[in-house]
Amino acid sequence: MAEYFTARGLPVPLELRRNPLTDWRRLTVIALVLLVLYIGLKITNIDTGRANPEYVINRIALLFKWDFSIMTPRDEFETYMDTAWWKMIETIFLGIMATAFSFVVALPLSFLGARNIMTGNPITAAIYAVVRVMFTILRSIDVLIVVIVLLAIFGPGNAAGVFGLAFHNIGVMGKLYSEAIEGIDAGPLEAITATGANRLQVVWAAVLPQITNPFISFTIYRLDANVRLAPVLGLVGGGGIGLDLFQSINLSQYGAAGLIIFMIVVTVATMDFVSAQIRKRLV
Amino acid sequence: MPPIVSINDLVKTYPGGTRALDGISLDIQRGEFVVLIGLSGSGKSTLLRCINRLVDPTSGTILFDGIDVTTADRAAIRRVRRRIGMIFQQFNLVRRTSVFSNVLSGRLGYRSTWRTIASRPTSSDVAAAFENLGRVGIADRAFSRADALSGGQQQRVGIARALMQKPEVMLADEPVASLDPATSHSVMKYLEEINKKDHITVVCSLHFLSLARRYGTRVVALKAGQVAFDGKPAEIDERRFKEIYGEDAEEVEIGPDRPQPQPLAADGAEQVDPSR
Repeated sequence: MAEYFTARGLPVPLELRRNPLTDWRRLTVIALVLLVLYIGLKITNIDTGRANPEYVINRIALLFKWDFSIMTPRDEFETYMDTAWWKMIETIFLGIMATAFSFVVALPLSFLGARNIMTGNPITAAIYAVVRVMFTILRSIDVLIVVIVLLAIFGPGNAAGVFGLAFHNIGVMGKLYSEAIEGIDAGPLEAITATGANRLQVVWAAVLPQITNPFISFTIYRLDANVRLAPVLGLVGGGGIGLDLFQSINLSQYGAAGLIIFMIVVTVATMDFVSAQIRKRLV
Repeated sequence: MPPIVSINDLVKTYPGGTRALDGISLDIQRGEFVVLIGLSGSGKSTLLRCINRLVDPTSGTILFDGIDVTTADRAAIRRVRRRIGMIFQQFNLVRRTSVFSNVLSGRLGYRSTWRTIASRPTSSDVAAAFENLGRVGIADRAFSRADALSGGQQQRVGIARALMQKPEVMLADEPVASLDPATSHSVMKYLEEINKKDHITVVCSLHFLSLARRYGTRVVALKAGQVAFDGKPAEIDERRFKEIYGEDAEEVEIGPDRPQPQPLAADGAEQVDPSR
């Protein structure tokens, strides 16, 4: 090892001089991490005292005693609109509507947020910077926080949920679309321009074919993500099946809660599978 | 007869301060096969792109068939561009779409915007597309995705697209620099054919002097944005070569050329000659 270098009068390289098992730098880092975790345990004071094994098994078993009465109207005041399966459909459409709203806003903005389109003159470059910063801000505020704020405007219900979801999504979709536009190959644009085509023809023949598939792919990806997020919105008052889930847990109706969770899992897994299949075919 | 392209004291300075063209004057006659040679960065690409104004020159004039390209307005420049075909080193096809629609796009300069948007090509355009694909020997791949084709085939699609314009001049920017030697000759043969049979003037930049000697009727060498040599291919001897490429340069040969292009033999022209 080190003799190879010492025998030739060369400096021994760093990776041979240090023993990774006894290196004090590494040991310090490990000790620091352990210290942070210890302090974390003390501050958060995680109390698992209530959950003895028997109790845990009991509650989990209750979640699997599915209460199918929530799938049909339970009394004369309820209609099919109040049943769990209808609420699930409503929740899926919350995700679809949120995706639609954010698509309509993000599509035009994404062109303003694409560097290759906006550079060249200081005004458009400034617009580009503003749009991209806006996307980042929109993205950085979590959906649930937006929904809580929107409760003050729309009150509890689907409006707060849909717009809260859409708000965050404009940031994500805008960024994805902009990057798709930035990723196009400039060669075909040059070639189509050279044939004597006008600007609109160049966009139509050389830009659109390059961005349609990525755009469809990203839109389906976000649709999938939104349908996955939609059931959670109800927990903060954003409408959908999440509200029923929250209520049934509060009323200790574990059978109903378990069934709702199962429906959500099936929906999300299906969306996930279908969206992955479609997107794979689009590449 | 007046020259088809007349370049007078052309200068192009890029925003970074690079002087790509430094006073080029050149007359190109109808029917010539002009080969531009020179080191990378000598201004070949810029010169070609100034002719159809993909690049705006800084000063000087270019006359195309008597029309001043440098001062023409947008509509006029589009009318000039559609009379000038162009092919590229990276082929510049729209990769996701079919060979057929790539070829049809060569006709855009002659067609209204709504025909483009509604994708309603005229029947004469469709017929011309198949005729031109047949000429370059890939009619059978018309509905393949452009990126499913080999490099040589993609360049032939590029030629077919340019032929759709019924051009009077064909600009070729390093058309064979991304291709292997055998395929290079196949592509150059098609350029030679359109030059001789269709009397289309060709201006083509090349890296290999052997290709320039084989296909050019005239060689123009650029060095640091100026014309360093302008004459017959055979006139380039050892001394001139070193003037163009520098003292340390050494000429490399590109393999022997193949007999004739074989239209309709889709892959035949691509194979490497076994005698090599």
